[in-house]
Amino acid sequence: MKLEVVLPILIPLTAGALSLALWRSVRLQRLLGVLATGLLLAAGIWLMRSTVEQGFLVVEMGSWPAPYSIVFVSDVLSAIMVLLTGIIGLAIAIYSLASTPTGHEKFGYYPLMHLLLAGVAGAFLTGDIFNLFVWFEVMLLASFALLTLGGERAQMEGAIKYVTLNLFSSALFLSAVGLLYGMVGTLNMADIAQKVNSLEDPGMITVVSLMFMISFGIKAAAFPLFFWLPASYHTPQVAVSALFAGLLTKVGVYALYRVFTLMFTQDIGYTHNILLWAAALTMLTGVLGAAAQFEFRRILSFHIVSQIGYMLLGLALLSPLALVGGVFYIMHHIIVKTNLFLVSGITYRLMGSYELKDLGGFYRQRPYLAILFLIPALSLAGIPPLSGFFAKFIVVRASLESSEYLIAAIALVVGLLTLYSMIKIWAEVFWKQVPDHVTDGGGLNSGLQPRHTLAYYAPVIGLATCTLIIGLYGQPIYSLAEMAAHQLMNPQLYIDAVLGGQAK
Amino acid sequence: MSLALVVMLPFMGAVIAPQFAQAGRTAIAIASSVPSLVALMTLFPYWERLAGGNAVIQHVEWLPQIGLSLSFRLDGLALLFALLILVIGILIILYARYYLKKHENVGKFYSLLLLFQGAMLGIVLSNNLLLMLVFWELTSVVSFLLISFWNHKQDARRGARMALAITGGGGLALMAGVLLIGQIVGSYELEVVLAAGDQIRAHALYPITLALILVGAFTKSAQFPFHFWLPHAMQAPTPVSAYLHSATMVKAGIFLMARLYPALAGTEQWFYMVSFTGMITLLIGAYVAMFKHDLKGLLAHSTVSHLGLITLLFGMGTKLAAVAAVFHVVNHATFKASLFMAAGIIDHETGTRDMRRINGLWRYMPHTATLAMVAAASMAGVPLLNGFISKEMFFAEALELNLPGIWAYLPPLVATLAGIFAVAYSARFIHDVFFNGQPKNLPVFPPHEPPRYMKIPVEILVFACLAVGMFPAFSVGPLLFIAASATLGGEVPDYTLAVAHGFNLPLLMSFAAFSGGLVMYSQRQRFFDFHERFKEIDEKAVFESVVTWVGNLSERVTNKLENGSLQRYALLLFLTAFTVTLWPLTELGFSIGSNELSPVDYPSALGALVLIGAAIGTVVMHRQRLTSLILLSVVGLLVAVAFATFSAPDLALTQLSVEVVTIILLVLSLFYLPAQTPVETTAFTRWRDVGIALAAGIGMTLVTLALLTRPFSSISEFFLENSKPGGGGTNVVNVILVDFRGFDTLGEITVLAIAALGIYSMMKYTKLQAPATDRLGNPWSKDPHPTMLMQISRPLLPLALMVSVFIFLRGHNLPGGGFIAGLITAVALISQYIASGVDWSEQRVKTPYQIVVALGVAIATLTGVGSYAFGYPFLTSWFTYASLPVIGKFELATAMIFDLGVYLTVVGATLLALTSLGKLSDPSTKVSASHNEGGV
Repeated sequence: MKLEVVLPILIPLTAGALSLALWRSVRLQRLLGVLATGLLLAAGIWLMRSTVEQGFLVVEMGSWPAPYSIVFVSDVLSAIMVLLTGIIGLAIAIYSLASTPTGHEKFGYYPLMHLLLAGVAGAFLTGDIFNLFVWFEVMLLASFALLTLGGERAQMEGAIKYVTLNLFSSALFLSAVGLLYGMVGTLNMADIAQKVNSLEDPGMITVVSLMFMISFGIKAAAFPLFFWLPASYHTPQVAVSALFAGLLTKVGVYALYRVFTLMFTQDIGYTHNILLWAAALTMLTGVLGAAAQFEFRRILSFHIVSQIGYMLLGLALLSPLALVGGVFYIMHHIIVKTNLFLVSGITYRLMGSYELKDLGGFYRQRPYLAILFLIPALSLAGIPPLSGFFAKFIVVRASLESSEYLIAAIALVVGLLTLYSMIKIWAEVFWKQVPDHVTDGGGLNSGLQPRHTLAYYAPVIGLATCTLIIGLYGQPIYSLAEMAAHQLMNPQLYIDAVLGGQAK
Repeated sequence: MSLALVVMLPFMGAVIAPQFAQAGRTAIAIASSVPSLVALMTLFPYWERLAGGNAVIQHVEWLPQIGLSLSFRLDGLALLFALLILVIGILIILYARYYLKKHENVGKFYSLLLLFQGAMLGIVLSNNLLLMLVFWELTSVVSFLLISFWNHKQDARRGARMALAITGGGGLALMAGVLLIGQIVGSYELEVVLAAGDQIRAHALYPITLALILVGAFTKSAQFPFHFWLPHAMQAPTPVSAYLHSATMVKAGIFLMARLYPALAGTEQWFYMVSFTGMITLLIGAYVAMFKHDLKGLLAHSTVSHLGLITLLFGMGTKLAAVAAVFHVVNHATFKASLFMAAGIIDHETGTRDMRRINGLWRYMPHTATLAMVAAASMAGVPLLNGFISKEMFFAEALELNLPGIWAYLPPLVATLAGIFAVAYSARFIHDVFFNGQPKNLPVFPPHEPPRYMKIPVEILVFACLAVGMFPAFSVGPLLFIAASATLGGEVPDYTLAVAHGFNLPLLMSFAAFSGGLVMYSQRQRFFDFHERFKEIDEKAVFESVVTWVGNLSERVTNKLENGSLQRYALLLFLTAFTVTLWPLTELGFSIGSNELSPVDYPSALGALVLIGAAIGTVVMHRQRLTSLILLSVVGLLVAVAFATFSAPDLALTQLSVEVVTIILLVLSLFYLPAQTPVETTAFTRWRDVGIALAAGIGMTLVTLALLTRPFSSISEFFLENSKPGGGGTNVVNVILVDFRGFDTLGEITVLAIAALGIYSMMKYTKLQAPATDRLGNPWSKDPHPTMLMQISRPLLPLALMVSVFIFLRGHNLPGGGFIAGLITAVALISQYIASGVDWSEQRVKTPYQIVVALGVAIATLTGVGSYAFGYPFLTSWFTYASLPVIGKFELATAMIFDLGVYLTVVGATLLALTSLGKLSDPSTKVSASHNEGGV
């Protein structure tokens, strides 16, 4: 039956519809939010177990045989991504209980959150290039709606940039799908992979693959296509930022990983070299951008960009170790980045600002929050033995083994600048005294409402624990990344699983 | 396992000890010293097994795939360092008990101190370079937190940041170096690496590997040009300075050089890089120490100098020099830690560390003074103290160094000069602080002896200085021997540890250093005057300005790139797309395939021309919003016509109805916008954009042309063949939509639902002013709902609904289906809103459209889930034929239920979107939804 392959879509989709039907009861929607994301996480675990056991799980929608049907394919990479979607989804749903303004809840926050998750999970699981487009659209619209929820001026300005640039991406994606279909006459990714190699003009494929690269590069926020991200991510309410920060760009990265390992490997010398330089420049511009910021979420947003570079690097090098590094990086990053945004939300709630100059005094007054910040922050900067260290280490090692010394050096220097950035936040928000212009110590003295405390802290603690576990007990995680990389390096496995033997 | 335990103990202590913070400083100090004591007891039994340079290795896997293991190694070198860390650790813990004030956060302090201890033990006990790296970085972070223990002081924060930036950066270099070693050797385990010295030295990557490792070591051990962080780290509480920044952490770099000595040393590169760095550091540190008025500043620069000395010894590359280096590590740790503690006591008792104010303390605290003077004498290298012995060895080695030509005089000269400075600053420490007249307006007066137990750590260390100084072979000989043999990887050269080696050249150098140093001190005022002529470089300011510079640079770069202009971003996007595809496109050229081009017929050509004209018109007229909207609708209609021409009636129908709804939606939005767009672009940007548009268009055309002229085969044959027998419908398009690719449709209706919901929520928060007049300034008609329209549209509604039911039902076999039917229904209902007003219509539609949308999505989803009940995958359809009287034979298919879901979603979503927009104009429904951060 392989129900577990479809459940990650069905759960959020049904929950979205149900939430919408429960339009008038915010209470029930909240409950459903936690429940459905919890179920999503459970489904993710189930999917992971079966995928690890069986290698590939393929579901042919409507029982039509591949390549005629839309297939859902779970390989280890997909399963990892879905599991992470579950983790982040649950964290955000719990956090939202406390952080989401009532007005947002009334006007569709929860249905949109569920549908966004459905889009994300769908993109991770589909084995059909057009279907991927569909899920991208689900994601884009849901994220746009979430971005504008609240209707602040800054939100609108950010959202317009967000949606315009992302619509370019969609248009390019759709054109590329059309052209590709025109060449190979199929939409099933495994089938495409099989057919592109027997085409007469590989040059055409290269052109189309570059269109995909640009389109997904926009989604992934790679240099020089990332501008929508720092323009918008700091504008919505924080749970939305955190959700986006964790998952959205990673869908773009995932799509790049998928198509540039499975389908477009005929001109690696050109395509992957572009990716390599995009990776280096993404790392650099992102981290330099962060150095110029003095707003908590803007700093974090630029670091998303910077770290996308590391992930792209893993793909660009296209060696088994590099892919392990890339996948490991994705796993680490999703958890850490979401968590940092969540922490910024707590400091915001306590002191009413994201500007570093308006914050301060947390080290003295909230020492445990300080620790909870330090764990993801140092992990982000790649300090051992936290998850980020291993992620960075593997990627750097892979670059050295591919004799890309300059890239390795860039990756290391960017690590140092990231550390600098995190220390900047630390010094301003945690070390510094409460600034003089903040009256009554901001809200620091009064604190969170007791009933909110758990919802605020539980996700942060949970994600910090994940960071520690990945760091200290990294072997299973590494093995997963290794399996994923193995499958990615051998696209024939994927093709056989989907098309060969008509796996039922 | 027990070695892992030794490392783990302090970490556990770091968690447990703070729990005793409530019970007072004594309790927490006792609790904190337990791990060190247990660790010492654990290490003790190993002593015998290490004789003769043996090593104990204990190995547990951690992350074997990347070569990281929890692999620990105890040999003489590790033991020596571990003992230093543990013994001095206990003394520091005791000392800090009295140093810290009651109100300070002792729990945090001890916790961090123990964390550091664990990390440091980790470094010295690691048998795996990656593991060492892990602990290495950890010490940097903990040191950062400890330097800034008094984080309310800006200097402390800055000092901490600088230390972290330097040592953290060095850590990254080390990481790269370690990676390269791993790449050369194939393992990170020390026994493999140490055995592969020749292989490493012969490798092409050796120079860069060495340089990277050394940068790691030099940053940590404060070697020139990275030395400046150490004096600024003196903002830390004094126990931290004594422990981390003189006795242990700064020795980590030294340790690393000792550890990798067999693998990396013995080449010219090693010699030049290490010895010259050491030499420069030795001199600079000693020189600057002279002029520091701050007690801790003097000691810090002296530490820098001594670290340089040890580095120089390692750099020399001879075995005896290495022995001397290891020996000096111990000696320096003992006398410098005790001096720091003494300085802390003085600071504690007088309230200042300024040597221009603290004078004549001998009278007030003779006990402390005696201890400090012995330690300072050792620092100066006075005979019968441990500092003397290793310094003599150093002098001897400096003489042995065979540099070519005149350079041969350099090392002894530098050594003697540094010796002179060392004597001078030691003399200054003793004379200025304890003699030299009376104290000058001390914050605390009169000073007196500290608590009894605060002096005990100092006494023990000073005792060690004396014991080693007088009975070196007996006291430290065995430990030094095994440490040296571990460092050298086997053979130890002959050396004798003796108080004196008779009258020889080194002794003469010592003598010169003493007399020179004392003369220098007596003439100090001249030197101070001389020194003051040079502007002192404030490294912190330099560092901060570098940081600011980086910040400004990134700001400039960022602002250049990210200037907030959407046009700019779009431009970059297109340029990127254009640039990356340019090369493959030129390769491709105008490659027209083998397919024959179909002949041009006039209707098609005309259609194409109109299409192009309308598209251009839309762009040209875009400032006249309504006009360009009308032109745009022409484009849409022509596309519908094109679909119809190329035998795609379903697409044509869909396009047509979508067009209608879209135009209504846009007109609703235009209502709130000014009729004209102001001119905001220059001619240049317009022509630039024309160029980009042309480039993009031509590129797409070329690709499309190349594509369409090539033979094509696709999966569509399958759909045509299986539509009727497999899907139960003759309209392939509909069967594709609801069956073959129903999953896409499910996604697409979700998109629609989200879009409607998004518009709804956005409008709820939007406050728009509806214009009071039309664009010509005329007031709006008083009768917004003309009777004629009302009279016609109402009877039309049932008709339209009937049409949509018809379209819906026949969809499976003939053009039609849920999507089109939904749009028709929506348009029919919308026309009621337009004709009769929102209020009138709302009274008659009781169900909120959200519910309709939800129902639609739910029905579609559940239809898919339903197939699981029968054991088939998601969305498997089922159909059968039934016959009823009158109607006859007809088809029942689950696909139709799915289509119903589509229908409902489309109706709900369209109406939700349009009414949300439409309702804005009605002032009564405007929501003044301010940003209420209410929460639950």
